[in-house]
Amino acid sequence: MTLGDAAEPLVHIQDFRMNFGDKTVIKDLSFDVRAGETFGFLGSNGSGKTTTLRALLGIYQPTAGTLHIGGKAFEPRDGARLGYLPEERGLYKKEAVLDVMVYFGRLKGLSKAGARSWSQDYLERVGLADKATARLDKLSGGQQQKVQLGATIMNDPELLILDEPTKGFDPVNQRLLMDIIEEQKLAGATVIMVTHQMEEVERLCDRVILLKDGTARAYGTVSEVQEEFGGTVYRVTYEGILPASALYDVVTDTGGRAELAPRAGATEAGVLRELVEAGVAVRSFTTARVSLEEIFIQVYGEQQMAEVQ
Amino acid sequence: MAFSQHNLGTVIAFEFMRTIKKKGFVVATLAIPVVLVVVFALIFASNSSTEASADAQKNSAIAFTYTDASGVIPPQMAQAAGGKSASDPDAALAAVKDGSSEAYFAYPAEPASQPVKVYGADKGVFENGKYEAVAKQVLNAAAQAQVGNPQLTAALSGGVDFESETYRDGKVSGGFGSVIPPMLFLILFYVAMILLSNQMLNSTLEEKENRVTEMILTTLNPTTPITGKIISLFAVGLVQMLVFLAPVAAGYLFFRDSLALPDMDLSILVFEPGPILVGALLLLGGFTLFTGVLVAIGAIMPTAKEAGTIFGPLMAAMFIPFYAYSLIISDPKSLIVQVFTYFPLTAPVTAMLRNGFGTLTGVEAGIVIAELFIVGILILRLAVHLFRYGSIEYGKKLSIVGTFRRSELAAK
Repeated sequence: MTLGDAAEPLVHIQDFRMNFGDKTVIKDLSFDVRAGETFGFLGSNGSGKTTTLRALLGIYQPTAGTLHIGGKAFEPRDGARLGYLPEERGLYKKEAVLDVMVYFGRLKGLSKAGARSWSQDYLERVGLADKATARLDKLSGGQQQKVQLGATIMNDPELLILDEPTKGFDPVNQRLLMDIIEEQKLAGATVIMVTHQMEEVERLCDRVILLKDGTARAYGTVSEVQEEFGGTVYRVTYEGILPASALYDVVTDTGGRAELAPRAGATEAGVLRELVEAGVAVRSFTTARVSLEEIFIQVYGEQQMAEVQ
Repeated sequence: MAFSQHNLGTVIAFEFMRTIKKKGFVVATLAIPVVLVVVFALIFASNSSTEASADAQKNSAIAFTYTDASGVIPPQMAQAAGGKSASDPDAALAAVKDGSSEAYFAYPAEPASQPVKVYGADKGVFENGKYEAVAKQVLNAAAQAQVGNPQLTAALSGGVDFESETYRDGKVSGGFGSVIPPMLFLILFYVAMILLSNQMLNSTLEEKENRVTEMILTTLNPTTPITGKIISLFAVGLVQMLVFLAPVAAGYLFFRDSLALPDMDLSILVFEPGPILVGALLLLGGFTLFTGVLVAIGAIMPTAKEAGTIFGPLMAAMFIPFYAYSLIISDPKSLIVQVFTYFPLTAPVTAMLRNGFGTLTGVEAGIVIAELFIVGILILRLAVHLFRYGSIEYGKKLSIVGTFRRSELAAK
């Protein structure tokens, strides 16, 4: 089964509201994910990201609103090619790695031989070929996550939903994971990714949504969001003391390296001139878009940033 | 539809294979037939030595003294058995005590109301039995000689068989032979629950404890894993029963004489269609009900350990009717029996007992069967609901009401 009409958004969420008792967790959230795009689902802990994904996948029943995949509410029995890596990781820990992968492959519609062959190739690729017959609970946390990612993507999903996929991975394996996700994207999969790895979001995602307290704080392409939150910044390396100025705000300053957000009407030349006239020895001066990480800090505050890191 | 059936088959095969491959399962399943084989071997060896001992006892005569206050023992009969009349009871007893005499029997003046005193030199528990056997044999022979009729002697000694026949609606009723077949369903129910209940309880707990629920729920309709687990558990139970019964059947068919197993006369069994059908339906209904309850508990509780606190009392409910066993058979209209008959957790056992003993009316049987299936199916549906909306409550005990009003779900 294929997921909907290519002209329509693959995922459509309209006026989604979610209450847990008296508490409203999601407030009238609306957004679309288009077929073939990689969509970054961003937000601090407790902002409602996982709740939204669970409601989209029918695990939670929404209080109100429409949550559609391919034009209708998701039902596993429809046999859509979906891959979901939940935030709460886990597989049958007392079973052999290959047995578990083949099981999920069979549930996702692969033949037994096909599932076995795919699993063996995948385990070879992620360096776990020698663990194929080992019990899952004998593997490290990172190794178990690789197995779970394999079980998620083995049906060549049209829609791949990854909830914090890099959680628990070392930098080397984060790179490997991102390569695999990128391959899925290039193969035509629509990817929804919940992550706190802002650099990866900037590199991989076509569009993003920032969720705060159950509402969309920003939504659009990465460039549009960057534009919305200050557009450009000046990255300066210097010696001396940065003066206060009516031309810019200091976004970050680590003493020798700073990001300055220009105020309305300010130009690169004007800012540079003011720094030089104030006695600052400017070593480099470049113009860049404000990073998603900086936007995240703006939206959620320094304290929450420390919390998610 | 085909995809669902394919998935159901996949779930059944996976659950079945991973259960029977577990070391604990293999050890526990094989342990019972191994124990049975060992017991049979011991019985075989014991029977051989018993036969040898019995032969030796039969052929060995004992020398005893006796006194006969009743006067019923003919001296020549006692003499033929190795006895010698003693005139002084104290001296005869003293002779046994000092080892100069093997045994001394004191027949009282009135053997019907007074015990025959038997004294002998200790030769071990088994060997010591021969003194009483000889004393009894001498007395029986004396009685038979006095009566002069072997038939009357047999009647007096309780050696006569009786065959009863009763009638119901003009037809011969089955009697005790008709009780056994429906009671087999009760035995099957207990065996199934003892073997499978723990696995039923853990079937949904496992998904929760392994944090695998979300992967499953986005791949399968929640009814499929529950149904697959129940069917696979049933298959596992059948395998266990076959393994358990194999040595018993082999022993009975091929080594019955060696093992001194009773030669069962199956012709006494009366298979009445009504009670058999009711028994089968009660078994299925009871199995459905308890399966639903156990699966639901597994979906509610966060860990197997915590589920165990409910599991114990629940299993006790299956055995409670046996405390009122005699009342269930003798006075089925009593209040307590009626409560046990209709309370869902005690209904299967109580109704099966009453069905076996013929006190469960057709109306009562219909009500209980309907109740078991309706409540069982409702609870199974509740279990599926709890599995779907509750089993992602990792590490938390679930509020059933909460799954309906979604008030207990943790936000993320």
